[in-house]
Amino acid sequence: MAPKVPPQPTLEQSTAAAEAGHGHAHEAPPKGIMRWLLTTNHKEIGTMYLIFSLIMFFIGGIFALVVRLELFQPGMQFVNPEFFNQMTTMHGLIMVFAAVMPAFTGLANWMIPLQIGAPDMALPRLNNFSFWLLPVAFGLLLSTLFMPGGGPNFGWTFYAPLSTTYAPPSTTFFILSLHIAGISSILGAINIIATILNMRAPGMRMMDMPLFVWTWLITSFLLIAVMPVLAGVITMMLMDINFGTSFFNAAGGGDPVLFQHLFWFFGHPEVYIMILPAFGIVSAIIPAFARKRLFGYASMVYATGAIAVLSFLVWGHHMFVVGMPLAAQLFFMYATMLIAVPTGVKIFNWVTTLFRGSISFEPPMLFALAFVVLFTIGGFSGLMLAIAPADFQYHDTYFVVAHFHYVLVPGAIFSIIAAVYFWLPKWTGHYPNVRLAQWHFWLSVISVNLTFFPMHFSGLAGMPRRIPDYALQFADFNMVSSIGAFMFGFSQLLFVAVIVMCVRGGQKAPAAAWGEFADDLEWSVPSPAPLHTFETPPTFKRPAH
Amino acid sequence: MWGVIKSVLWAFLGVQRDEQRREDFEKGSPLAFIITGVVLGLLLVAILAVVAVWVAG
Amino acid sequence: MRTLLVRLAGGLTLVGSSQVALASGWNMPVGVTDLSREIYNLHMAIFWICVVIGVIVFGVMFYSLFRYRHSKGAKAANFHENTTVEIIWTAIPLLILVGMAIPATATLKKIYDPSDAELDVLVTGQQWRWRYEYLGEDVAFNSNLATPRAQIRGDEERGEHYLLEVDEPLVLPINRKVRFLFTSDDVIHAWWVPDFAVKQDTVPGFITENWVRINEPGIYRGQCAELCGVDHAFMPIVVHAVEEEEFDAWLAERQEMAAEEAMGIDREWELDELMERGEGVYGSICASCHQVEGEGSPPAFPALAGNEQMLADLEWHKDVIINGVSGTAMPSFRTTLNPVELAAVITYTRNAWGNDSGDVVQPAEIAERLE
Repeated sequence: MAPKVPPQPTLEQSTAAAEAGHGHAHEAPPKGIMRWLLTTNHKEIGTMYLIFSLIMFFIGGIFALVVRLELFQPGMQFVNPEFFNQMTTMHGLIMVFAAVMPAFTGLANWMIPLQIGAPDMALPRLNNFSFWLLPVAFGLLLSTLFMPGGGPNFGWTFYAPLSTTYAPPSTTFFILSLHIAGISSILGAINIIATILNMRAPGMRMMDMPLFVWTWLITSFLLIAVMPVLAGVITMMLMDINFGTSFFNAAGGGDPVLFQHLFWFFGHPEVYIMILPAFGIVSAIIPAFARKRLFGYASMVYATGAIAVLSFLVWGHHMFVVGMPLAAQLFFMYATMLIAVPTGVKIFNWVTTLFRGSISFEPPMLFALAFVVLFTIGGFSGLMLAIAPADFQYHDTYFVVAHFHYVLVPGAIFSIIAAVYFWLPKWTGHYPNVRLAQWHFWLSVISVNLTFFPMHFSGLAGMPRRIPDYALQFADFNMVSSIGAFMFGFSQLLFVAVIVMCVRGGQKAPAAAWGEFADDLEWSVPSPAPLHTFETPPTFKRPAH
Repeated sequence: MWGVIKSVLWAFLGVQRDEQRREDFEKGSPLAFIITGVVLGLLLVAILAVVAVWVAG
Repeated sequence: MRTLLVRLAGGLTLVGSSQVALASGWNMPVGVTDLSREIYNLHMAIFWICVVIGVIVFGVMFYSLFRYRHSKGAKAANFHENTTVEIIWTAIPLLILVGMAIPATATLKKIYDPSDAELDVLVTGQQWRWRYEYLGEDVAFNSNLATPRAQIRGDEERGEHYLLEVDEPLVLPINRKVRFLFTSDDVIHAWWVPDFAVKQDTVPGFITENWVRINEPGIYRGQCAELCGVDHAFMPIVVHAVEEEEFDAWLAERQEMAAEEAMGIDREWELDELMERGEGVYGSICASCHQVEGEGSPPAFPALAGNEQMLADLEWHKDVIINGVSGTAMPSFRTTLNPVELAAVITYTRNAWGNDSGDVVQPAEIAERLE
């Protein structure tokens, strides 16, 4: 059955060989800042991605807290509406492009080579370049806040012509920064595909790959497919603003709705880019702590593929009230409803993995379980939003805000936190502090619901999104949301504390830190993982159970 | 050929048996699956579009 | 907890104005049209479907978490696949979805059928107000936020319809099919009244449509639902739905007023008259960008007080007001304001805040220029 492969040294031999003989192959790295500027090591680059995204997570979080502070009570108290719009816009842009996406790329950098038994990424220098584009891109983006006329104030979806004819002068810088971030994403995706397709350990076939690798492979193809569309649409904006074209300017014969079609053709797959790797993470964590093999591995892979294909067919559901023809409306409604099927398959598979398992509740598992429940709630509101007639009421209200925050915060972000707790022993050699991580979990899970659950109600009751001031009947819901948001924001300081403590010390972790059901290749190298691993490829053996 | 189509159709639903999956991945080249996937994907779009236009009248 | 009391008070008055308001507050309003009721029913149907699925899935999940705890010595089973089960749990959601798609399609087809309308209203979104034009009836007016800025700043007690009140509401008859045509003069806005379940983007350069047939008289409030710039939160919608005879009387009265206004174009106006009229127009139309004292907020919105280019060149000033400045946020007011209002606002800006040019622009000149 298994393809014929030449005899390979065992893992112990290869690691020993690396320590004994290969040491000279690596010149001493440059010291100080140059080491980080020039590094081509996937682990160091992965670490930089993760630290960068954590910093951006806090910056984006501060913007969110400015928004929630202003919305604590009716009336304008702290900021003016202009600055409020800049805050909502920057919060969205930073969280999507600078926090969630780089965090997943960082995890990919660290873990994909380890999980497939490769010594590094396929294109290490390109890897360094794609990371260092990010601080440039987002430094530029943040600097627009200090420019005359202020930063972007048109929402993270930047609908034309508000973002072209009516935009502040800094918009050209905003476009440039998104271009740079887009190049970084595309290069990162190329690198990941090249690594996964070419550098698997001998004996590891595609269908033997851990699900995190699978989901990232599919995500990379999505990135390569849609990032150029984003680049195209922002270039058209650039032309409209600076060179007198009229792509989106009706007065010149253009079409503002064209912008939305192009944006959401990028934007909807983008949403899946931010959730597919999360599926991979949760599919690794749940079996580890349920002490039971993942139910329906093959179905999981196929369902991920189906979601990726469908993600290109549903962009119109963001535009149900824009005045599309009836047939288009129906097409997008049906296609959107179909996505519920493969998504449902995944959730049923996780629950069935838990069924008749032997379950323990370590910190990564807590966050993974919260992911399953709260992501599903976000999925339910997504199903409601798919019903086009009902969307005439939901569209652009806080109901939508509640929906996408449920899939992104306790969805994507909880999965990232779970991944960090799961792999910290591999990165640092120490287990995270359980007591502190439990506090972090309970505070997070309570405050995230306190923040976002009332938004369902305020949206249904008629509160539009992106408003700095609101009618009095929405006051109570907003007050609760604001209290929850501040609780959530400050709880994340515990996360930083756990990470810092874990780097400094703590209970020592063995190579296989989470027992026999966390059995992918990364658990075969020592904890902490040495700077260079798998210099001689390991022989992959299919897990026995 | 029918086997490939069947596998891809199951993939669209997101359900597959382990043996069938193993069998599929024993085949040397994924090209047949990719082409079938793209064709069936386009077919899905066409069917949805025809249904939508027909319902819209 | 003062807000809670205000909220209760607000809730009670809402109940007074319309019986279905009871549902509002936590859930989507049932609304006052057949379609809004249908949409509410769809919403509740899909909601309960989600609840049932949620109870089953989370039920199994939490049962497993409780029953199969490692700490209680649970031994893991060793199954990881069951094609039959998987097929069942893909087929059931598929059937549920088809079951939901059928009524949703039927409702959508009704929304998309504005035929046989008895009244056409053109709704134009503008930064940051609504303009309503009763097509073929010679009646048109602007509808601006009526909440004083002092309430927004918190210098004054907030009224019960804070941010949901306008100077001139849209008046519609009940029991008649009214077709809305939507467009915009600048950016994309969205006209939304929850009680009608009508939400439609207004796209510059394009016309979108929707319709309503209101079943009950009452006052219905809504807001702009698409981010449209600084004052997005401050362009509410208020609709007075009245009995048919009352509507016809109101329409006749407005037609008479419009005719009277048209006669005013030909007569000679005094500076004081124009200043008084101009101050009102400026306050409702211009002040949101150029500010009440004409200080503007550069660079997007230039100051008008002491604006040398404007004071030096009267013809340019007229051109800017009538035609707007392409490529900037300054829109054309050719159709938004009538000749009297245009003349008044030009005169006002040339003489207010120490501009004191003494120029008087007559409505007749403007009317001539518009032709």
